[in-house]
Amino acid sequence: MSHKTYVKKSGKRESEPFDRKKLHDSIVSTCLSTRSPMGVAQATASSVCEAVIIWLEPRTEVTTLDLRKKAAEQLAKQHPEAAYLYEQHKITI
Amino acid sequence: MSIITSLSAIGLAALIHASFQLSVSMLTLLSGHAIGKKRAHHRLMRLTTSFLIGATLMSLLLVTFFAYFISAAFGTIDSSWPWVVACSLMLFVAVLVWVVYYRRKTGTQLWIPRVMADFLNKRVKSTKDSSEAFSLGVTSVIAELIFLAAPLFVSGLIISQLDPGWQLAGIALYTLLSVSSLALVWAIIGGGHSLSRIQKWRESNKYFLQFAAGTGLIILAAFTYANFVIGVF
Repeated sequence: MSHKTYVKKSGKRESEPFDRKKLHDSIVSTCLSTRSPMGVAQATASSVCEAVIIWLEPRTEVTTLDLRKKAAEQLAKQHPEAAYLYEQHKITI
Repeated sequence: MSIITSLSAIGLAALIHASFQLSVSMLTLLSGHAIGKKRAHHRLMRLTTSFLIGATLMSLLLVTFFAYFISAAFGTIDSSWPWVVACSLMLFVAVLVWVVYYRRKTGTQLWIPRVMADFLNKRVKSTKDSSEAFSLGVTSVIAELIFLAAPLFVSGLIISQLDPGWQLAGIALYTLLSVSSLALVWAIIGGGHSLSRIQKWRESNKYFLQFAAGTGLIILAAFTYANFVIGVF
């Protein structure tokens, strides 16, 4: 990415630069929780991160909600079951 | 009041308790995080079993507390007003369940404030050992006390009027049935089934569960009124 995109957190927490590793880890973790093999989880996460980075290019600031939505949308194309769990993360309780 | 009648009422109250979903939500999340972190199956089972034991122990302690408290406060109940209070409480909680138990949004978001839900989410995510999972199980039952008070109160009333031997049977019956839904989810997870299928089932049936819990409370209130206030049966 040629410039930094900032991710706006909910509440009064400060914005922070987009962290690819953080997104990658969360996708891997979600794929693993559907009992997918590690290799599949890693490949899916890399592909989702690439698509999200392309989407972030023209943007200087996005919210965590936008980021999650976009990641879920990309994940749904490759792993619908994981995408469902990813979307459910904050709305299970 | 026959033993069968009393145990049936306790059983229905316990099933209503089992239909409340905070513990199940937390267990589903706990399992998701544990599997997602590639924890070994025995570690996943250790965490989920500790959670189940915590919730079971808390349910046991609560029903015992209610039975003891009512027994100490009222002794043998001659007047009908404690039963009327129990019926009123059940009707109030039934309406509360119908109106506020699930949020009208996607997912299985419950009535609890979002700040508390976020906190529970974080706690579940960072749970690594059995003692933490155990305390989460305990917390999941305490957090729903506002709804559990109705089935616990009426069960406590009924248990307090039984002979000592049957009191133990009533407490055991309540405890076992009240954690039956949690035990079922625990068994499904332990059997290696998909979490997304569990969550999808919960999401698509949430309004049925909400309706069933509210209606169950109204049926129990009517049964209690007819049996213990009017004395029909």
